[in-house]
Amino acid sequence: MKEPENVCNETTFNRIYEAHGKPVWRFIYYKCGDGAQADDLVQEAFIKLWQNCAKVTQEKAKSFLYTVCNNAFLNEVAHKKVVLKYAKVKPISTNYQSPEFLMEEDQFHDKLKKSLENLTEAQRTAFLLNRIEGKKYSEIAEMLNISVKAVEKRMSKALATLRDEIGDI
Amino acid sequence: MEKDQLLHKWLNNEATAEEIERLKSDPKYASYLQIADAASGFGIPEMNEGANFDAISKKIQPVRQLEKPKVFSIVWKVAAIFALLLAGYYYTTTLDTSIKTEIATTETFLLPDNSEVILNAGSQITYNKKDWSKTRTLSLDGEAYFKVTKGNKFSVNTSEGIVSVLGTQFNVSARDGVFKVACYEGLVSVAFNDTLLKLAAGETVEIENGEIVTSGATENTAPVWLNEESSFENAPLQRVVKELERHYPINVSIQNVDAKKRFTGSFTHKNLELALKSICEPLQLDYKINDNGAVTIDNKNSK
Repeated sequence: MKEPENVCNETTFNRIYEAHGKPVWRFIYYKCGDGAQADDLVQEAFIKLWQNCAKVTQEKAKSFLYTVCNNAFLNEVAHKKVVLKYAKVKPISTNYQSPEFLMEEDQFHDKLKKSLENLTEAQRTAFLLNRIEGKKYSEIAEMLNISVKAVEKRMSKALATLRDEIGDI
Repeated sequence: MEKDQLLHKWLNNEATAEEIERLKSDPKYASYLQIADAASGFGIPEMNEGANFDAISKKIQPVRQLEKPKVFSIVWKVAAIFALLLAGYYYTTTLDTSIKTEIATTETFLLPDNSEVILNAGSQITYNKKDWSKTRTLSLDGEAYFKVTKGNKFSVNTSEGIVSVLGTQFNVSARDGVFKVACYEGLVSVAFNDTLLKLAAGETVEIENGEIVTSGATENTAPVWLNEESSFENAPLQRVVKELERHYPINVSIQNVDAKKRFTGSFTHKNLELALKSICEPLQLDYKINDNGAVTIDNKNSK
């Protein structure tokens, strides 16, 4: 028998979880900034994927997961206040900085963090997917189910808003 | 506008060094680049892959267990329906066919092998359509005339005895302990108790309670009841009245009459007055028909 195209197979399903679980989780995290909520939505999305496994082919599984997460997020949590907890992973590039410079830099990052939290959900998600995940516009467009033009618009607006909020650097 | 396009190119990691220089020369875009660069420095916590997978597996498990029985139950349902239909079909085809006549009606019908049966009033025949090709056997309660197509043994089971033939015309009457067989064509064998009798064409036999009462020749070529008449030879009045009740929707009560009186003669099935007259006149009896269908037979001199 030919291997079925759909995902009704435990090994196929597990492979999809390994490939897409983390990216989907981060995608939701950019939207809501709440790890527990992201956990819930990821679980929900994969359970839905399993329940509908007969209708979903392997190629469509990824977009299915993003669409389900997006819809679930819009339905249930869109109205909640977003609190981001960004963790710095990269130390600041140079190591011979003056204390004043370090303080300025800290202030700058503080401001940036607050400004990011205050962005609209649509702008923040697109902006962080590009900046942190390094996603191309076309990939973001596919994830959010919008056009590349719309991604451009969100990016421009996000940058303009951040620049206004942070003020002079 | 052009610089906006360059900015997007840069954000997409597709800008050349020269293009980056051009963006940096504009203070507005230079600050954009700085913000974007700084934002890239942020990180986010990682998902706990194992814990989430366990949670998903736990919630999926019951779904999986439910789904399999679902498929099976559909198969079982379909199988059960088929089994029921099959059983129903088998039951109905093996069920006996029964034909019954009410009072004052006779019925003519064909058996599966085209043998003709004329069923007299108040009688019943039961046979099995499916087994008919193997054994031509039917059971009779009452009176019937048979025109049997030639073939293997044809048997009529009655409570009084068994009549079997190969192909002929004959009349069987089995009622209230009286067993009458008349053969009109061919040869008929009559079995009752331990006795086996052979009747040739034109012969008739009457058996009452296992003993031969009369046996002799019949001058008719077909039973008289086919001509809508009933005929009796030295029959007790009770039996005559019972036969009368089978052909007319009436209730006969006999008063002041010796019930053992014997009657020889016949009555018609078409006219109640005439039938009553032909029974009562020779026996010196009187009759009265009431409105509700009750008939009283009385002794002539009792009034």
